[in-house]
Amino acid sequence: MRRLVYLLLYILLIQAAHAKEASDNNDEVTFKDFTLNIGDRIDLGDYQMELIEIQSVRDGLVVMRVSKVGGSLDEQRALLLDSPNNFDGGAENGGITITVADIFDEQSAKVRIEYQQILGTPRKRASERPAAALDKPELSVQKSFDKNQMSVGDEVKVTITVKNVGTGQALGIKAEDIPPLPEFTYVAGYPPKIKETLDSGQSDSAVYVMNAVKEGSIRVPAILVSYADAKKNAKSNSSEPFNILIRPKSKADLAIKLACYAPIVLDGKGMLNISISNLGTASATRIEADGTVMPSVGLQVTGLGKSFFEILPGADVNYSAKLSGQKPGNYTIRLKVSYDGGDGSVIREGTAEVVVLEREYKYQYLLLIIPIAIITAWMYRRYREYKY
Amino acid sequence: MLNVLMLGVGQCGNRILDAINREAFGGGGAAKLAKYYLRPKFPSRVETLAINTAINDLKELRFTTAKDRMHVANLHGVGANRNVGKQAFMDNRDMIMGEIEKRGDFDIAFVITSTSGGTGSSFSPLLINELKRQYRDITVITVAVLPFREEGSLYLQNAAFSMRELMEVDAEGIILADNQYMKRFSGDIASAYDKINNMIAKRLLFLIESLDSEMLSVTDLGDFKTVMNGGLRIGTMGFYQADSKNLSIKDAIENSLKPVNLLYPANVADDAARAMIIIQGSRELLDVDEITKEVERLSASAGHVFKGIVVKKGRPKVLSVFTVASAPELESIYAQAARGMQDEKEKRSRARKQLDDAFAHIEDLEEIY
Ligand SMILES: Nc1nc2c(ncn2[C@@H]2O[C@H](COP(=O)(O)OP(=O)(O)O)[C@@H](O)[C@H]2O)c(=O)[nH]1
Ligand SMILES: [Mg+2]
Repeated sequence: MRRLVYLLLYILLIQAAHAKEASDNNDEVTFKDFTLNIGDRIDLGDYQMELIEIQSVRDGLVVMRVSKVGGSLDEQRALLLDSPNNFDGGAENGGITITVADIFDEQSAKVRIEYQQILGTPRKRASERPAAALDKPELSVQKSFDKNQMSVGDEVKVTITVKNVGTGQALGIKAEDIPPLPEFTYVAGYPPKIKETLDSGQSDSAVYVMNAVKEGSIRVPAILVSYADAKKNAKSNSSEPFNILIRPKSKADLAIKLACYAPIVLDGKGMLNISISNLGTASATRIEADGTVMPSVGLQVTGLGKSFFEILPGADVNYSAKLSGQKPGNYTIRLKVSYDGGDGSVIREGTAEVVVLEREYKYQYLLLIIPIAIITAWMYRRYREYKY
Repeated sequence: MLNVLMLGVGQCGNRILDAINREAFGGGGAAKLAKYYLRPKFPSRVETLAINTAINDLKELRFTTAKDRMHVANLHGVGANRNVGKQAFMDNRDMIMGEIEKRGDFDIAFVITSTSGGTGSSFSPLLINELKRQYRDITVITVAVLPFREEGSLYLQNAAFSMRELMEVDAEGIILADNQYMKRFSGDIASAYDKINNMIAKRLLFLIESLDSEMLSVTDLGDFKTVMNGGLRIGTMGFYQADSKNLSIKDAIENSLKPVNLLYPANVADDAARAMIIIQGSRELLDVDEITKEVERLSASAGHVFKGIVVKKGRPKVLSVFTVASAPELESIYAQAARGMQDEKEKRSRARKQLDDAFAHIEDLEEIY
């Protein structure tokens, strides 16, 4: 009896398995995922499914058209992301179910097709017509200085260039170049104005002029452009920030060097070499050199005064003055140089110490050596006299 | 100006001569440097000559010029043997006398020597004879140094014999200096020598200076000769310089004759035959009356006394020179020497006898091999 029950159960199980297998082959629902670009179409049996438009990436809305050969079905429907949409009663009932699984961008989306296997195998057919002109504006923005090194007082021109490098019109363009930098005064054209609308490929630029007023190294902040595409999608882009250097105001800076290499013997002559060099960044002009000697008598100096029209930055002028010592002593020669250094008259000084020697008594040392030699010789003689 | 010859013979004589030269440089430590820039300052024309057979003795000298040191080469030196010394002198006589002759003519010569060594004691008598022969009118004074008594019998014997010879030669006289007598000045021999030598040097220089000075009372070389000729022709010298606390001339004269200031133990009162007192000092300190009185007092006991007064700025200095009529100290040396020689002789014959006795043992024996 029990054996019979087992047998019956076994037969039932076998039959159930058979039945399942049979239905699998015929009306089993299956699915397949496709990535579609706009215009791409999937054919499945008599069904044709085409991605018409990505209506909104943000809202997750995709428009698809589903039709059936013969015209019994032709429907264009907006599909919401992740919600199944049945056509012809859906897959369960021999129709199809379409679900938008993912929206990649304004051009493409991932779509899942559910269907009964008897309908066949779905195939993707890429769009034959060129992809419809996309409405995807993209603005590049650039901010540039006409020099990246300048000195206080220099004028600098800033150019803002905005170009639509995308497709479709950019609307409501706004360039914000703020805040104003404290190292500059804004002379003209600020804040910069850019056209509100730029078609694809179009560009616009604005120029403004500033004046550097403070030295230092400055990080120039990015300029931000904000805009929207035709669908009012707001977008923005900014330029790269960069560094500039503002050097101190360029000026002439004269350094004066006086050199007298050897002391002067009494009633002898000497030479004082004078070198005026411009260590500054601007030309020095109207240079007048004149000197004084302290104490004023005893050392005669000629050729100390001189004038030059201009000394270029980095350049120098050299000349020499004649010295003649008339009285022994230490003298100080002070050279005063006045010049126009770029903003007004400047005075620089240089000094040199000059020694006029006492008269030299060349053979003076003999006065010492001779007596010592005589004494030594004398004492040696005496020593010899008593040495036995 | 007197022409003075000073001969230092033998080590002792050399060293006293060196002390004289040192004194001529001013004496003391300063003389060490002075010789490099000064000439010795002698009151007269003084020539010095150090004679020795031992070259090391000559090398030891400091204030005598090299040319004033004469080495008489003798093969093995002379030891303390006076016979070897005499032979050495005779062998080198011409050279020695030639060296002296080079130095010119002389009025007076001092021959300075020890009596007990080898060289000095044997050379000096012969040298004096030669001097007398070579220089007709020369006055020769021997300065003879007696040994420490404990130096040994050989030195005493030499002293005895050389003194006899020195007394026999034709010199004007002998000035004695006795090491034994002056030994009390110092503990160690070396500084005792220096002290003694300086004392002798000082007295001799003072003497020369005085003889060559203008004196208030007439005292000259002739007077000095007369003094030295007195008595045994053996004399000595005393010297005293008054200190600033006592400038009395009378005391100074008495002090110069006191035993401490003499070179040889003699009693002026008892032994002196003739004397000479030379006084030097600032004029105001020299009371002629007092000097005369003092000299007269001395004459009463010491026979004739010459006095000489030299006016020279300074505290009074007194040099007394006198000869003696008797020399007990010298006699005792002879006695001691004779005893020593006797002992030596006995010792020798005893030793000879002992040796002979020893030889007696083998007298009739032959060497057996
Ligand atoms: N006063 C004194 N006596 C000395 C000196 N040198 C040696 N004598 C004595 O002289 C004796 C020895 O004679 P020395 O002159 O050395 O012998 P020489 O060189 O052979 O004549 C000894 O009695 C020593 O005490 C000295 O510098 N001064
Ligand atoms: Mg000796």
